Amino acid sequence: MEPFFVWLEATSLSTWLRESPSLWAFPFVLILHTVGLAFFVGTNVAWDVRVLGFSLGIPLEALRRYFRVMWAGFWINAFSGVLLLIAYPTKALTNPLFYAKLALIAFGIVLAFRIRREVSGLAARAAAPPMARMLAAVSLACWVAVIFAGRLLAYTCTRLTVDFQC
Amino acid sequence: MLHAVEAYLRHTPQGEFLRTAKWGWPIFESLHFLGMSLLLGTVGVFDLRLLGFARRIPIAALHRLIPIGISGFFINFATGLCFISATPDQYLFNKAFYWKVTFITIAGVNVMIFYARTFRRLLETPPDIAPPLAARLAGGVSLLAWIGVMSAGRLLTFFRP
Repeated sequence: MEPFFVWLEATSLSTWLRESPSLWAFPFVLILHTVGLAFFVGTNVAWDVRVLGFSLGIPLEALRRYFRVMWAGFWINAFSGVLLLIAYPTKALTNPLFYAKLALIAFGIVLAFRIRREVSGLAARAAAPPMARMLAAVSLACWVAVIFAGRLLAYTCTRLTVDFQC
Repeated sequence: MLHAVEAYLRHTPQGEFLRTAKWGWPIFESLHFLGMSLLLGTVGVFDLRLLGFARRIPIAALHRLIPIGISGFFINFATGLCFISATPDQYLFNKAFYWKVTFITIAGVNVMIFYARTFRRLLETPPDIAPPLAARLAGGVSLLAWIGVMSAGRLLTFFRP
């Protein structure tokens, strides 16, 4: 991995993201990642609490439309996340917590699909079956874990770049 | 005046706690992001509905999620106050902090106008109909204000005194 880190950190995109004083470089990418998080996790929260039985007056079928917002948030974060990774590859890829975060996100997305399948065909205002409710509770816990993992990345890294410690 | 506030905050118990507890700051930051997600997941989702998204959801039913967003706001108000108490100079002399407060104020005034003038009328309009202009305006202002709050919050570290 070491030669890859050396190469990537020397590219002009990586250097610009890390060192440019422009607010459109690193700060803007961080803003994208934060706003994307709010919509990605936020829409999952709305979906999960409805499945858990909160406000049954929300028709499940109609709430599905918000999956588009969820995916918009996901792609904003995939894009901004890749840029953050390009800026500080050593920092992320040498931290085990980073892989845990990615695994948790994958798990959360799989859960979202599973829950959607469990409640498909139900009447608009129906309560979700116990299995779907359980998955929704696990999903909420998973997103909390994603947020903690992401936030703690900044405090658990050992190497900032190939040349600098965290 | 600001210096007096700074000195006062610095010696509050919550400020002292956050400066000294080893994992205090990272855990409070995570809670701050969690509160943000609860807020945008309910208020943001409601704002999109006001803008005309997913019109088949009855406004009243979606509005039941709002208490979750309010609890998110209070989580963030509390953790935010702790951050400011721990390192008051980083906020009181930081222009991004004042942008953030301004955006929060805009969101607050907007929601008061919404409840005073638009909300009750909106509950009487059937679903599937395009929301009235006042509702769309309230939703748009709210959404932009919260995006502003998040952006200014992220910029805090780049405008440190």
